[in-house]
Amino acid sequence: MHPTRKRRMIGLLVILIGVGLASAVTIYSLRQNMLFFVSPSDIGEQDLPMGREFRLGGLVEPGSVRRAANGLAVRFTVTDGVAAVTVDYDGILPDLFREGQGVIARGQLQTRELFVAREVLAKHDENYMPPEVAEALEEKGMHNKSGQGADG
Amino acid sequence: MNPIMKFIHLMGSPPWFYQFSGRLIPWLWGLFVVLAACGLYLGLVKAPPDYLQGESARIMYIHVPSAWMSMMIYALMAVMGFVGLVWHVRIAEILAISSAPIGALFTAVALASGSLWGRPTWGTYWVWDARLTSELVLLFLYLGVIGLYSAFDEPRKAARAASLLALVGLVNLPIIHYSVTWWNTLHQGSSIGASGSSIHPSMLWPLLIMALATKFYYAANLLSRARIRLIEQDQRKNWVRELLQEGTA
Amino acid sequence: MSHTPFILAAYGVATLLLLWGALAPVLRARKLKSEIRARLERTGD
Repeated sequence: MHPTRKRRMIGLLVILIGVGLASAVTIYSLRQNMLFFVSPSDIGEQDLPMGREFRLGGLVEPGSVRRAANGLAVRFTVTDGVAAVTVDYDGILPDLFREGQGVIARGQLQTRELFVAREVLAKHDENYMPPEVAEALEEKGMHNKSGQGADG
Repeated sequence: MNPIMKFIHLMGSPPWFYQFSGRLIPWLWGLFVVLAACGLYLGLVKAPPDYLQGESARIMYIHVPSAWMSMMIYALMAVMGFVGLVWHVRIAEILAISSAPIGALFTAVALASGSLWGRPTWGTYWVWDARLTSELVLLFLYLGVIGLYSAFDEPRKAARAASLLALVGLVNLPIIHYSVTWWNTLHQGSSIGASGSSIHPSMLWPLLIMALATKFYYAANLLSRARIRLIEQDQRKNWVRELLQEGTA
Repeated sequence: MSHTPFILAAYGVATLLLLWGALAPVLRARKLKSEIRARLERTGD
């Protein structure tokens, strides 16, 4: 290769590697701050302060949803299979809110076990299938509805 | 000279590139229209609704191909920019800079359709999670490349500056792709990867056909845009004069 | 919540943007060619 072209190519590759390394280091050092939500076990481990807003993510524990007799208030348990937190929410739930499905709740801890949410979003997984197929899988007990989870 | 090298050399000749692309473009548009019609029919009419998301999952057939294109076009733009920077091939510079507006369009489509998909499923139009944020950064990178190019008067200097920015921004592509694995995000993980697909075949086919259709859209649109830049830059050269005085094309 | 408005809006936005992206170079080419032709006729250059 022509020496000038070789020099230009090496120069560009050095820039690319430099930018790549710089970004990798930045991303690595920011990895905790870039988490969109924390899991119920993180709450136990990390001693998150009361009264500070954050997002809690996990699965709605099947059978845990209790709705108020009147109004929109709802209480349910969010679990990641290891730890669980009770969530209180007074508002409109997304369409995809189901028992066994993923949710991300934004709010704050009232006590160590009670999280009061201001907003609840539904998180779904990467599986797409027709309703009949989902039913058939359900019957065979193969369709693992908790197949997504806090770690996506 | 082997046929591939011969073809590359021919592509470097502006009149030849202009003629060749002019003949190719109608076919590329034709393929796009046929494939998009098939994909839309299969996706919007024939495909079943999703077991969980219902009808809203049909947004997938435009959202996912656009998001793929937004990243693929960026990668190609950077590669062509690299060729332009190292070998000073003018046609590569033109193809790189002509890719930017098309990539920006696909990024905008991916962001808008994703937002309209998020509302009925997640319950929100927008969140600042790693996937959504890095895709927005991609849009700004495209706009930066376009802006930097237009800030120079001399097109070849402009192309080199813009290509350099495109190359530096390449680092965002793995961030977009792996954002859903590296961090907790509201956006779900990838449905299609090395280990196969978690999309039922009845929904996967329309998706793949739409993905192929968008590639032809890009090819046709890229060549149209590149031809304009070529005659604009060469407007005082003989081949453009002859071309326009003949009254053809 | 009905999903139809969201689907229509998503495909509507996509169609408009992609249509604009496809037509813009055609219009630009037409304008540029007539400009160059006009200059060639005027100056022969």
